Formats: sequence, structure tokens, C-alpha cells
Amino acid sequence: MSEAVILVPLDSSEQALAALPVAKVLGEIERAALRIVHVSERRPASAELLKLEATVPDGSTVDARTGEPAAEILLAAGEMKPRLIVMCTHTAAKPGKTLGSTATNVLRNAPCPVVLVPPGRDSIAWHLQHVLVPHDGTPTTSAALRPAAELAERASAELLVAHVTGIRAAPAEPGSLTTPRYVDQPQHEWPAWTREFVKRLECICPLGHLHVRMVLAHGNPAAEIVRLAKKQAADLMVLAWRGKWEAPRALTLKDILREAQCPIMVVRA
Amino acid sequence: MLRLASLADRHLLVQCATITPENYSGSVSIDAALTGTVTQVTGSGTTVAMAVARRVVDSAGHCMSSTEVVVGQLSLEVRLGETYRLDRVVAVHTSRDTDEPREMAGRQVKHAIEDVNGVIAEHREAWLTRWKASDLRIEGDAAAQRALRFAIYHLSSASNPEDERVSIGARGLSGTAYKGHVFWDTDIFLLPFFILTYPEAARALVMYRYYTLAGARAKAARLGYRGALYAWESADTGEEMTPPFVVSPDGGIVRILTGEQEQHISADVAFGVWKYWEATGDEGFLVNAGAEILIETARFWASRAELEEDGRYHIRGVIGPDEYHEKVDDNAYTNGLAQWNLEVGEEVARLVAERWPEQWRALSRRLGLEAEEPRRWLQVARELYTGFDEQTGLFEQFRGYFGLEDIDLAPFAQRTAPMDVLLGRERIQRAKIIKQPDVVMLVHLLWERLPPEVRKANFEYYEPRCGHGSSLSPAIHALVAARLGDAALAERYFREAAEIDLSDNMGNAAGGVHVGALGGLWQATVFGFAGLRFTDEGPEHRPNLPPSWRSLSMRFQWRGRWHELALPESGAERRITGG
Repeated sequence: MSEAVILVPLDSSEQALAALPVAKVLGEIERAALRIVHVSERRPASAELLKLEATVPDGSTVDARTGEPAAEILLAAGEMKPRLIVMCTHTAAKPGKTLGSTATNVLRNAPCPVVLVPPGRDSIAWHLQHVLVPHDGTPTTSAALRPAAELAERASAELLVAHVTGIRAAPAEPGSLTTPRYVDQPQHEWPAWTREFVKRLECICPLGHLHVRMVLAHGNPAAEIVRLAKKQAADLMVLAWRGKWEAPRALTLKDILREAQCPIMVVRA
Repeated sequence: MLRLASLADRHLLVQCATITPENYSGSVSIDAALTGTVTQVTGSGTTVAMAVARRVVDSAGHCMSSTEVVVGQLSLEVRLGETYRLDRVVAVHTSRDTDEPREMAGRQVKHAIEDVNGVIAEHREAWLTRWKASDLRIEGDAAAQRALRFAIYHLSSASNPEDERVSIGARGLSGTAYKGHVFWDTDIFLLPFFILTYPEAARALVMYRYYTLAGARAKAARLGYRGALYAWESADTGEEMTPPFVVSPDGGIVRILTGEQEQHISADVAFGVWKYWEATGDEGFLVNAGAEILIETARFWASRAELEEDGRYHIRGVIGPDEYHEKVDDNAYTNGLAQWNLEVGEEVARLVAERWPEQWRALSRRLGLEAEEPRRWLQVARELYTGFDEQTGLFEQFRGYFGLEDIDLAPFAQRTAPMDVLLGRERIQRAKIIKQPDVVMLVHLLWERLPPEVRKANFEYYEPRCGHGSSLSPAIHALVAARLGDAALAERYFREAAEIDLSDNMGNAAGGVHVGALGGLWQATVFGFAGLRFTDEGPEHRPNLPPSWRSLSMRFQWRGRWHELALPESGAERRITGG
């Protein structure tokens, strides 16, 4: 069986290094080796590579590639078949932009889940104690549940399931879950609904051995998910994505990627 | 597979499964997870004993395995193509019924496993009797028919005429949500079904309120009042079971005030008791139990209402059926029902004193009731503030309600969460949006006391402001809309009510059926669409059927006689049968 690998694309920027502490912990949890791929459009100086090698965690390897960054990263991913790609959302300062062009291209074409790390968290140490899964009640978003649950289990982390309700209609997707329209007595209804929501999720993915907590909010889904992630001190968010990027698709995902302060793992639904 | 909880003998549970080997002869192992006889002591000290027995019968009807109470796995030699039936019987007895629950359960299960077919036949017979009494037939609307039979099935399953110390919890016997606690749902939403189709079960439900009077008296005394204030959430003793707070799903701690402030429950209990008496004329119940409930609840209201400087009595700091607004003064529903309760308390005191003087002397001595006390109740009732405005014909739901913010509910029409979640607790308290019928509920219950224009004006004012945050809400709106002659609106609300349990789209099906909403659905049909009502002369009907309903037929019992009602009006008939 081939060695489990996590691919960490870097460029020569300081911001890109924000992915390293996250990748290091995920590597430990997944028992996967880190494969650092340094990509630039010109060949880097030896001194620069030596400096990078001194920065990366022990046991990881550094591979320097030259070419168009996204194409090189995807080529490397095709060769290495990594379990995850962990990279920074953007390495150049572009205020208000969701993702840099490299991260966008990688996300859209990656053969595996991508963990996107906001550059603002710098190189400070990272721990995985709270994993947050936003769940709009649809079977599609349930695709994020299994990877999130498996990660939480391996990390002995808490799994937070966030459901945002609002004035919009219930999802049309068959089998979707919603909040109850009638709450006869909140002291009974909410605990019962919470138990049932989690039980229904357990039909998709075993959760019995995990510490699972439901959190409910109402309002704009992206804003509420970002707020909940901050309030609950989530270390990682796991989001399911249908794979369509062009407007008006993926609005919630784009808003979350722009505003969230924690790393986000995006998995294909 | 057949699985039943016997309606004929509520101590018995039966499972039958058949097996036919299609490509195999040999050994089969059946893990029936048997436990023999087990006992468990509940938190309240009741011992529950369960005894289990099983047997396997071959296609010729011969028993292949022991019928003894057994534990563990069962191995059988089976032959290709032959059918085998596994019967399993469970008997449940508690220390509430017998001093020897374990022995009783063991003896009964041994007997029952020998005659499983007999147990099944008796169960079937019991259900036939129930359906004969309670069925409601609709032609022209299969969905409505299905919803009503679903309601009747769950209502009938949840009742037990043989046990007066239990009632029906908010989710019936179909789920564990609400912990089996008993609310006003039973007295106001369920009881009419039982009174008219299963009076024996209705009697057990009102007797439950008699057996829990001690808890109601203790609650009133604890809060500084006289008489009986029933628990908002009641269990076996009648003590208040409402938790003081809940952790909401957003992590906030929410104070729960219904246990202290939702005091209309006492008038609701009295209302149910009086309706039972009116419909059955059950003198034994009235003299030995009902009168005491009516007197003690009237006494509570007389001590609860306070005479103020304006010369009127007021009831301050309560929650009405609309639970979005807490600690309100002079809630129209509470005051309206309290007024009714005070008057009926006086009436029953007079009635018992005149017709059963000896029992009356004993009762009034036991309750320490002075001769003039019932007359004072009438005075409090007369001077009780009701919030009624002669000019508009409207009841103000509570003091200050008309000054609250009016919020248009139309933009929220597609919502999947209740309005208090969307707007937040503080905002909803400052708005006119209500959780469920409050004044409209008063109109429904005291229909005959209010002039037609007042019923209409209040429905038209409050209906658009109702957020329907309670499952009890749509059915009552259907009922009142139908009685007011708006069949289209009534039908729309009827369908909303019917969907609550039959459409698994609320994320709360596992907790159990909304049994109060099911009772409301039945009432919407019988009192709304069929327009059944009762006067001193007896039952009448003023139907207003939905256009698609070709016919509605049902039976009901009134003062010991069965009546048959067949609508529509053109072919309407009401036959009295039996005695």
C-alpha cells in the first residue's frame, strides 16, 4: 500500500507559509507524509529552497517546480494522489477577493479535498479540537459529514453540526431536513429535534463514538456560519461543494471562504 | 410480521414473524433477545415487571419449541419450503396494579403464549368495537379521510378507560418527546373526541385530573393562592414538571416561565370536566369528583384576581395560549375562561347542594367552603376585566397588545422555522405576532356566549396576525373559519393541520405524533365542517362542508344515546339508536 501523502503547495511568499502548521497537524492526524511543492514561474534560487527546507516540518520533502502554478500543483497531485491538498487561499493581498486564481484553479480541478487556509493566521501553531460542519439539511451537504467525522474521530475533536434556518423555503432536494415549523414547547421540542437531527445524520455516517453538538442559527447562511465558527472557536470547517463555481453558483461557499478566519476543508458532494 | 399492543388487554404485547426457507433445509438460529422476566424500579418507585415467552409453530400448527419463559438464542431444524411462525408474547405489570407484578406477568405470559391466536382475535375485536363507535367517513377527499382515520387511530390507542391515574401525553404513545407530560392539550383538544365517541375513556381522563388535585392545590398554595392551580406539565402526582430553563440549540439559556405563568390550565381542566358532565350526565362523577375540581378551580380564580382602584378585578402576570408574550396583564383568554370557571363553580355548588344535599354537606365541610363563598365568585366574575371593546367588538388579547408593532407575516410565508426563532424572543414580545389562537380560542370555546359579529370581528383581526408557531394552531383556525362560513380558508387550515404528522417534513417525526393537533383536526371536522353543537334541546348541526366532500358521516354519543349523523344537509339525517 502506498504511503499516505498530503500535498502542500507553496510559493515564495510569506503568506503561503500559513498552510504549514495546518498541514503538519493534519499530517499527524492522517498519518500522512507532507509533500511540499514549491512552484514558481522562474526557477528559485538554491538559497531560497534551502531556507524553505529549514522551515518545513521534519520528515517532509520539498519538490521545486517551475511553471504555471495551478497546472504544476494539479500535475503533482495527479502523480502523488494525495489524501488532501493544504494551501493558502491567496498569497497576494487582494482585499475582498474570495480566492486567489491559483487556489481557485486547484479547488476546481483537484482530485481530492482541499484545505484552504486564510493567510492571516500566519505560521502560528494550529490544533484541531473543534470541527464544524455546516449542514443545510440536504443530502448534498451531508457529503461533508463523513470526512469531518473521520477527522474529528482521529483527532479526538468535537464535531459541531451547524444548521442555519431562515425565511427561505425548505430545500427542494428530496430527503432534506429542516427545523420544525411548530415548536409547541421549546423546553421539549429543541432537545428532541437536536437528537433527531443527529440520529438522522447517523444514518449517513456513524457518529455514536463522537462528541457531536448541534448548533442552530437563523439568517444569512454564510454570515451565520462564519459567526458560529468564530463563536464556537472552530479550528476547521468542512464544507460540501457541488463543484460548480461560476456565478450564481457556490455563493455561500465563496462568502464563507472570503470571511472565515479558520481553515476550510472543501469536499466534492 | 405482525406486531401489536393489545387493545383488549393492555398488559399484552405480541410479535409474530413467519419464516419460509426457500433454498435450505437445516439449522436456523433465532436471536430473539429474550430476557425471561425482568423487573425495573422507576424513579417514582413503581416496579415494572416484563415477562417474555416464545414458541415456534410449524405449518401443521404443531409447537416445535418450549413455551416456557426462556432466555437467549433458539435453534431450530427447518425443512425447505415449509413455513414456521415465531410467536413472542410480552406481559407487563406494575406495582401500581398488583403487589406481585413479577408473578402476575409470569403467569399471564404463560397463559397467553398458549393461545396467541386468541389474543390476536380479542385485539381485533376490540379495535372493531372502537372503529364502530369512532369512525368518521368522508367521501370525495381521500387525503382528509386518511388524516382523520390516522387521528382517530392514535387518539384511540393512547386512551385507557381502565386507568384513571394516567392521562395522554403531548405525543401520545408514539414517541418519547415531551416525556409523556400532560398539558392543556388533553382537556381542550383531546377530550371532546372521547366525550362523544368513547365516554369511558373520557371519564378516565377527567378522573386523572381528580387524582392530581392534591398537586394542583399544593402549587396554588406555593404561589400564595387558594384552591387548585394545575401543573402546566403534569405527570403522575400532579406536581409541576415544567423545567425552569432550557439550553437552546444556539447555546443560549432560555428561562421557561410557562410552569409559573400559564395558569389558564386550571380553567381548561374545569372546562373539560364541565363538558364531560354536560354530555354524559354522569352524576356519580359530578358528585364524587367533578364538583370538587370545579369548586377548587373557581376558588383559585377568586383568590388570583385582584380588585383594583378602577373597581374591576384583574389577573396580572400570566401567559395566555399565545406563549410569545410572557408576563402579560389581563390576558383575554385567561380572564374569559376564569370568568366562565367562576360562574360554573357557583352553578355546580348550587346544583349539588339542591340535588345531593347530604353529599354537598360532606364536600363543603371537607373543603371548608363557607355558604357565601360561591356567591362571591359570581361577584368576581361580574367585575372581572375582559378587555372587550364595545365599539369595535374586539377583545384586546392583553393590556397593551393593540399598541404593539404590527409586522406583516407575508414575507415569512415560506419560512421553515417559527417566528420567535426568526425574530428573536425580545422582538416578538414587542410585536403583535401571536403563536397560536388566543382570543380566537376564546371565541371557539365560548362560542354560544358571543354574538356573531363579535366572533367574526375577532377572527378577522387575529387570524392574519397568527404566526402558527404551535401545532395546535391550524386546526382551531380551520374550525372557527368553518363555523364562520369561510369553507375555503377552513379547508386550507385543515390541510395544514393534517400535514403535521403525515408529511415527514418538520424534522421531528421521531418524537411522536402531535396528539393535540390530531384532536384538533377531529374537532375541526366535527364542530367546524359538520357544525355539530349542543343545546338544552340536544344536538344540532349546521354544516359547512368543503366543496370536494361529497359526504360526511359519523356516530356520537350524547347523554347515553348514540346518534348517527349523515351529511350533506340535503340528505341530512340524525338517527338516535340504542339506549
